Amino acid sequence: MTAVVAKTSIYTPRSCRLLTVEQLTPQEKLFRLQLLDGSELQHQPGQFVQVSLPGLTEAPISIASSPTRTGDFELGVRKAGSLTSALHSLQPGAQIGIRGPFGRPFQMESLRGKQLLLIAGGCGLAPLRSLIQYCQDCRDQFASVQIFYGARSPQDLMFRRDLDSWQIDDNFSCRYTVDNKPADSCFDGETGLITELLNEVVLQPENSCAVVVGPPTMYRPVIAELRRLGLTSEKQIMLSLERQMRCGIGKCGHCSIEHLTCCCDGPIFWLEEVEHLRGAL
Amino acid sequence: MTATLTTCPYCGTGCNFYLLSDDDGRLTGVEPAGQHPTTRGQLCVKGWNAHAFVDHPDRLAVPQIRRDGELQSADWQQALDLVHDQLQAIAEKHGPDSLMFLSSAKVSNEENYLLQKLARAGYGTNNIDHCARLCHSSTVTGLVETLGSGAMTNSLSCFDETELVFVIGSNTTEQHPLIGSRILQAKQRGAKLLVADSRKIRLAKHADLHLRQQNGSDVALLSGMMRQILRDGLEDRDFIAQRCENFAAFAEKLESYTPEYVAGITGLEPEQVIAAARLYAEADRAMIVYAMGITQHSHGVDNVRAISNLALLTGNLGKPGSGVNPLRGQNNVQGACDMGALPDVYSGYQNVADPEARKKFSTAWGCELPETKGLMSTHAIEAAATGEVRGMLILGENPMLSDANQGMVKKALERLDFLAVIDIFPTETAAFADVVLPASCYAEKDGSFTSTERRVQLGRKAAEPPGLARTDWQIICELLQRCGLKSDYQNPAEIMAEIAALTPSYGGISHDRLQGHGLQWPCPDKTHPGTPILHIDRCTRGKARFSPVDYRAPHELPDRDFPFLLNTGRSYFHWHTGSMTRRSHLLDREERFAFVEINPDDASQLAIFARQQVRISSLRGSITCRALVSEKVPAGQVFIPFHFTEGAANALTNNALDPESGIPEFKVCAVRIEPC
Amino acid sequence: MLKSLKREDLLRLLETLAEQYDLQVPLKLPDGTRQLGRYGSGELSLCGPLLQRKPTSLLFPQAELLLSINPDGSVEQPHPAEKPLALFGLERSDLAAIAFLDRFFLCEPADDIYQGKRENSLLIGLTGFAGENSAYLPPAGENCDLELIATADGWLGCAYSAAGKTLLAPFPDSEAKERTEIDQRAAEPKTDSLLKAASRLLREDKVPDAFWQEIADRCILCTGCNLVCPTCSCFCVQDRIRDGKTERSRVWDSCQLDAFMREASGHNPLGTEALRTRRRIHHKLVADVERWGEIGCIACGRCDRTCPTGIGMFAVVEEMINQFG
Ligand SMILES: Cc1cc2nc3c(=O)[nH]c(=O)nc-3n(C[C@H](O)[C@H](O)[C@H](O)COP(=O)(O)OP(=O)(O)OC[C@H]3O[C@@H](n4cnc5c(N)ncnc54)[C@H](O)[C@@H]3O)c2cc1C
Ligand code: SF4
Ligand code: SF4
Ligand code: SF4
Ligand code: FES
Repeated sequence: MTAVVAKTSIYTPRSCRLLTVEQLTPQEKLFRLQLLDGSELQHQPGQFVQVSLPGLTEAPISIASSPTRTGDFELGVRKAGSLTSALHSLQPGAQIGIRGPFGRPFQMESLRGKQLLLIAGGCGLAPLRSLIQYCQDCRDQFASVQIFYGARSPQDLMFRRDLDSWQIDDNFSCRYTVDNKPADSCFDGETGLITELLNEVVLQPENSCAVVVGPPTMYRPVIAELRRLGLTSEKQIMLSLERQMRCGIGKCGHCSIEHLTCCCDGPIFWLEEVEHLRGAL
Repeated sequence: MTATLTTCPYCGTGCNFYLLSDDDGRLTGVEPAGQHPTTRGQLCVKGWNAHAFVDHPDRLAVPQIRRDGELQSADWQQALDLVHDQLQAIAEKHGPDSLMFLSSAKVSNEENYLLQKLARAGYGTNNIDHCARLCHSSTVTGLVETLGSGAMTNSLSCFDETELVFVIGSNTTEQHPLIGSRILQAKQRGAKLLVADSRKIRLAKHADLHLRQQNGSDVALLSGMMRQILRDGLEDRDFIAQRCENFAAFAEKLESYTPEYVAGITGLEPEQVIAAARLYAEADRAMIVYAMGITQHSHGVDNVRAISNLALLTGNLGKPGSGVNPLRGQNNVQGACDMGALPDVYSGYQNVADPEARKKFSTAWGCELPETKGLMSTHAIEAAATGEVRGMLILGENPMLSDANQGMVKKALERLDFLAVIDIFPTETAAFADVVLPASCYAEKDGSFTSTERRVQLGRKAAEPPGLARTDWQIICELLQRCGLKSDYQNPAEIMAEIAALTPSYGGISHDRLQGHGLQWPCPDKTHPGTPILHIDRCTRGKARFSPVDYRAPHELPDRDFPFLLNTGRSYFHWHTGSMTRRSHLLDREERFAFVEINPDDASQLAIFARQQVRISSLRGSITCRALVSEKVPAGQVFIPFHFTEGAANALTNNALDPESGIPEFKVCAVRIEPC
Repeated sequence: MLKSLKREDLLRLLETLAEQYDLQVPLKLPDGTRQLGRYGSGELSLCGPLLQRKPTSLLFPQAELLLSINPDGSVEQPHPAEKPLALFGLERSDLAAIAFLDRFFLCEPADDIYQGKRENSLLIGLTGFAGENSAYLPPAGENCDLELIATADGWLGCAYSAAGKTLLAPFPDSEAKERTEIDQRAAEPKTDSLLKAASRLLREDKVPDAFWQEIADRCILCTGCNLVCPTCSCFCVQDRIRDGKTERSRVWDSCQLDAFMREASGHNPLGTEALRTRRRIHHKLVADVERWGEIGCIACGRCDRTCPTGIGMFAVVEEMINQFG
């Protein structure tokens, strides 16, 4: 009659070793991690992990590397509060806990064969990078890949090295822009809102699919622009909705939008699944 | 799961709930008492989370003694001996009045009683006080003069019968939430609501009339209202004639408070003053509800007198649904006053200067007692800063964060020859102590607490104290024993028996009788059912006294260098210096950062955006905290809660004191704000 | 299976249960209310008003240790209970709430902390003339392992699971007629139709935002409505470090709090009181219907009782129907 004694539960974090830390911007760092037991994370682009630090509970962080690059995985983290600040103070060799991967990934089967518009704002480039790397590694699966990225100012541009390498990659087109540049900046890239970059896109709307990941304020204008470009059918616009998350498994209630949870039903949604829901966009 | 019925440790409303504990004795939750008259199955968010801080790992669990500049673990014997030896040595060398005892509105009646006994009988000084000095000392002084008793005249059930509630200087839904909710319910059932508060508090949204008078202009506002009531002939002439004295002198003083004159001081329109007067006076039964917005001024006692005058003028006293209702802040601030943790009175407000009272207590306690009244806590801190007070014992208070002018408090605590602190957490004050004694919190002991409606009720033990921690009464007994006084109390019930024997208003109170829903004092004998409403046929002092007052401006007003008026207080989720609520997960999560409320117009003028760190400075100090841009405060005013040590409002506040009650002017000082 | 139990049989049944289970029965509390507590630890109070503390709190407590993390990073699970739980004396709404939580916590990915408490536990309904002053409580049906229905002179025992059948086996059979008589009394409570009407209003978008603002102005953010609700399941997670060891627990949360969804950036999708008040009602009456095919309020009335300002579920539903129905 007695219950089976489990050594772990769905809330038990697994230990990882921090391999390297790279400063991406004044606010963001890239962490390369490996599971202590040597196993693969086995995630899909668009998924996230719950990063656990003793005393600070957990925070959801998107996986910024592609599963096609095995052996380790990467997280790009903005210093936003208590847990993320503590993470920023860690040195290589440190141990941290993770749970996951969790969440609905980018819907690959719907992206295959399509012309892709991959659009990111701010921190949203982290999850999108996983997909971009995947596209790099499985280039023949997609008709074309265009990347658009916007950040607030030159120093806020995440993954500069990646951006530059994508720009010279023959298989990609990649443009990025900053909202403002300080007068004394030597930045010679584009300035303006990300919607302005989209203005000039040429594509075959019926065979295109857009993926949008960014801060809450970015969605409406970008979606309007995509609609104008002719992406008006179902399953043409995919987006990521992030909310406060505590459990990652659909139970704690913090990430819910009406009847959906962002941790299980998302974070990746088709636009038409959430557009009509109050507070979604 | 075990359920232990007890009384809420936070505000003075006096809600009762069950503390639930698991098989390991750990508290796992709270359930409101379904049938208790003030609780009725309801609590506020602090009550619902009252279990959360109890087993926090920061709890003090072993006595500590400062050695080589650091607090180090010690055993009880050593620590208690040291406290007693030091206090006694200072008393012998510099006289008993170089000692100061600070009692606590968070500990039980029994513990407050024992501590004032310890100060008076054990160490021979009337230098004992507690945080009522900082909250309702103005009420005690003012209402004792006008009515004879400084307590809330009516009961919480009166909100169900009243026709009008006049809330002035009380953010009731946040600070006494379950009284605030009764006011909202009264409004729903059709009662009128008049709110006078410079901030747009929740009650203001429901008010029939909301007056946003300048902080510190209440005497003018109330006088203007009273003059108008007389003009309109809305006063209760029978009540004035039969129950009151000194009316003529009072009425004469009102003459100059014309609506226009009042408007000039308060920043209101003259019509608003007239409308408020009529609204209040036209109700048959009207309750005045007030709190710190009235008392915490350099003219706090005058504010209270004016309020009392207003109630008398309209005959709103001694009947259901009326009265002068100061809402007491802490769960046992009423009790701490009742028990005589005050420099001028023994328990039951029996004056130390009265030879008969002194004789009664010295006979009962078996020793000589000092006759001169002692120091108020605010004066004691000043005296410590100048070296006149040299030894201090602080029981469950945190003056480093709670007293005005933090810089001076720090200087005072540093200068002391000896400081002993009894507390449940390592507070900012304990950091200065020579000895720190770990105490049991409310959930770990039995005892009685007196709520704002004078309801004496029991708190019951639901968990074991951490480590070596002991209950405060046991700790005080150890010191009583070292002073050669009676110390063999077996339990708090025995202490209450001694209190009842010496305190007329508690004469009929015993722990046995407190089972159930408690008793409202005065309860003079064993069969008395308690007193829900005071002053029914006659006032405690006989005739009620009209007390003429004049408007006096606050001590420090905004000027060119410090252009903003700083208002301070509390927020809904935190309690005082945050030692309990900042260690309760949900409460802490709601407000994790020190903040300043600033009006959107001021913010845009100063180019301050929401959540930005700003620097706020007064003549006395400077702090940084986050900007919370909000319509709640009027332009020209900023509001900072005093919970946060990292952005301590009281580094800025002015320790200008009311000459009679010794209360600091927490509600008005001048500050400057800069983005940082 | 239908059995007939005499008054004194019930105590025998309780004794048997207490041997195998951590038996929780309705106890009388000092202020006169009733609540589940361990058998033998207080005065038994079989019949009476609704249990004050929601019985689901034994399966999903207000504060609950999830795990501990040692300084070396290894993780320990809390010790499992020695005996499985048996909850005795539940009425229809209590059992409906447990069924609701079961479905919620046990759907994939299953919450194995809840599962650990629920697995092998036993639910025993107590209905019939067992309410306040012997008021009639409609039978609970299959949401429990067994149910005792109070009749004029004893108990009618109905078992719905194997464990229930074993427990009732020793008692004599009863005639099905008695059960039919009881069942005939059970009509759909009026509360259900109110909830359905309100749910329809919301789904048809007939309730304007001004309504939510007006209700929200009366909310003092006590969180009681969520905490007493037996179908509310939201929690937050807290860490405490004690002697180097991190205790990670979950504690009940409330969607009425501003920080419930506030993000590190300060952005808050539920950033106004009106939105949060709407969510409290909308979640039960619309979102749950969308997700689970049924309304998430089992009409226990607890939130209306605990709301200090009178804006619990039914108060709001009635106001909504009055204004917009
Ligand atoms: C699916 C998803 C993917 C994400 N991916 C990324 C990513 O790739 N990179 C990235 O930088 N960010 C990402 N984020 C955002 C990231 O999760 C937040 O920035 C992070 O949770 C902030 O945590 P913090 O503890 O540092 O911040 P805090 O502001 O300290 O905490 C965040 C919230 O948690 C609560 N909280 C935290 N600590 C406490 C405490 N001690 N007491 C009470 N309440 C507390 C508060 O309510 C607060 O609002 C993602 C979010 C989601 C939902
Ligand atoms: S209203 Fe006061 S006494 Fe009641 S639960 Fe809240 S803090 Fe406690
Ligand atoms: S009545 Fe209230 S407490 Fe009961 S289930 Fe419905 S919403 Fe929850
Ligand atoms: S119980 Fe009432 S006052 Fe409390 S949070 Fe819920 S709606 Fe608001
Ligand atoms: S994170 Fe807990 S429900 Fe989504």
